[in-house]
Amino acid sequence: MVDQVHKEFRKRDLLYSGALWLLSLILPDPQLHYRREYQFRKRDLIYFLTIIALPMIWSDPHFHHIMVLAGIHAILALGLTLFLGYAGQISLGQAAFFGIGAYTMAILTTRCGVPSLPAFWASGLTASFFAYLIGRPILKLKGYFLALATLGFGEIFLVMVRESPGLTGGVIGIFDIPYFSLAGFIFDTYLKQYYLIWGILMGLALFSKNLIRSKMGRAFLAVASSEDGASAVGIDVSRIKLSVFVIGAAFAGLAGSLFASVMSTANPETFSLNLSVLIVMMVILGGMGNLYGPIAGAIFLTWLINGLSRYQEYSLPIYGVILILLLVFFPDGIGTRLRVRLIYLISYSGRKRRREKVEL
Amino acid sequence: MDIWATIPQLLTSGITFGAIYALVGLGFVTIARASQIINFAQGEFVMLGGMITFFLLNKIHLPYPLAALLAILIVVLIGFLLHLLVIYPLRKASLPILLMATLGASLFLSSASALFFGTLPKALPPFSARAPFEIGNISISPQSLWVLVAAFLTLFSLYLLSHRLLLGKAMEASSTDPLGADLTGISRNLMIFLAFGVSAGIGSVAGIFITPIFYVSYYSGTLIGLKGFIAAVLGGWGKHSGAILGGFALGVVESLSVAFIPSGYKDGVAFAILLLILYFRPKGILGSPFIDSRRW
Repeated sequence: MVDQVHKEFRKRDLLYSGALWLLSLILPDPQLHYRREYQFRKRDLIYFLTIIALPMIWSDPHFHHIMVLAGIHAILALGLTLFLGYAGQISLGQAAFFGIGAYTMAILTTRCGVPSLPAFWASGLTASFFAYLIGRPILKLKGYFLALATLGFGEIFLVMVRESPGLTGGVIGIFDIPYFSLAGFIFDTYLKQYYLIWGILMGLALFSKNLIRSKMGRAFLAVASSEDGASAVGIDVSRIKLSVFVIGAAFAGLAGSLFASVMSTANPETFSLNLSVLIVMMVILGGMGNLYGPIAGAIFLTWLINGLSRYQEYSLPIYGVILILLLVFFPDGIGTRLRVRLIYLISYSGRKRRREKVEL
Repeated sequence: MDIWATIPQLLTSGITFGAIYALVGLGFVTIARASQIINFAQGEFVMLGGMITFFLLNKIHLPYPLAALLAILIVVLIGFLLHLLVIYPLRKASLPILLMATLGASLFLSSASALFFGTLPKALPPFSARAPFEIGNISISPQSLWVLVAAFLTLFSLYLLSHRLLLGKAMEASSTDPLGADLTGISRNLMIFLAFGVSAGIGSVAGIFITPIFYVSYYSGTLIGLKGFIAAVLGGWGKHSGAILGGFALGVVESLSVAFIPSGYKDGVAFAILLLILYFRPKGILGSPFIDSRRW
């Protein structure tokens, strides 16, 4: 990640040095996974307290609602960052797993009367079951073909949903999904849903952090850097790829079930290719190989879409242009690029003196 | 049997669809042969070709051939701009970023065309105003024959470009052996730039030829682009003949599937074929010159 850095000091660094310093307080370390042990840091406490306090400081239902959506997107992005950011595989089919989770929740709670919590776990399981079925054959592909195969799976899922109205309600979808409830406590306001979703997100982030530091997590990184090299040191590459795909799909399924219970509806328009593209964008903008980045990317893009929605028919072209500009200027993630500039900025004066000494 | 009586008619419509997929697939192959990039905005070139011709014909009242020619030029210009503004700045970026950038460009082009040309579906008048003629109990519209002619003319001119012209050889060299191309003084960026122009031109030709048969609307580009890509993979990724063969195979299979399964599943058939071909024979029916390279 650091090898694509511009090595020269640029004048524009002075322009954003203040912002860089502020970001350094909260941005995670891009090289976190290389450290042997992870200590609980001050910035983790800052994140935790911010999540707890934010909806109380900014107590506006609209804000809570957008943050609920951002949290759901963040769970999706967290699942994909394991697959794309750590294991280096690309998937454009996350929206399908999201949809499978949402429909499982919808069907189980409305038709079968299952309580929310078992339905929540069941949707994660269903999504990972489908991921296992589809991942066995297609994960031998790489690069563009893998992207295309997962995209094809997403399209097939949409066609299946539209064409089986008996099960999924067809194009119209399923309405009146009950709110998430836990032992009689119903999450019916946006504030309660905020704490539910960000609580689950924190749990999943902790899970991912432990996963990345386990033997299997190290194997993801090995597979990403070289599949031949990984198999040479005794890693079962296809098993590792399949398991990270299944885990990512389970995250997407859980996010889908939360989405269904928060929105009370599930219809096929939501789970189209645009959502998959959005999730991949969150991971890319957050930075590959970094857990907090995609969460920040999810919050950023959700707010961006919300902000653009007031321009109505102009919002989609503007959104496309912004996506391309972000990709062109921050191809390795916003946080990564800014942090690398920051590291350079701090070491600049010292390095300059050293360079002059060598030249003498 | 009722089903068997409809088969010949379905076959003819399948061949028409096949010619369209083949044309779109040829656009993908042209870029892939020069740069190993997949341009997901290819389908939008098809959509824009039809849309701009409609606009020039009905709003500016240009004569049909002039409108078509001008539309092709405009779409080629858009292809050049796409390369200059999106692909060229990202020439050293990794695969997911290129993929997302072309998808973003596709999103921008389709939504911008909805803004400029409106969201209503549009159809061009057919090239030769004649009633569909009947052979036996099959009716064939003259426009389908035009599409077939366009597909084969495009194939022929691409064949000439890549086998008879130094330019085409240089384009292929810049993809198959980048270092060798640099050493012989080929400007690789220029070659990719030209390939985007050619591919946009092919796309717009496809768009102009199919718009009289099918309505074109701002969102129709994505699906037709994906199916063209599936055609190119099915026939043999990176081969002109592969794109043509795959296009016809895909069109015929997709059309015939209507006779046996509910027609709502028709869009799923192409993607099911994609998954099957990628699993059992990723290099396609005719084999692929690129399949062992680093990007797939």
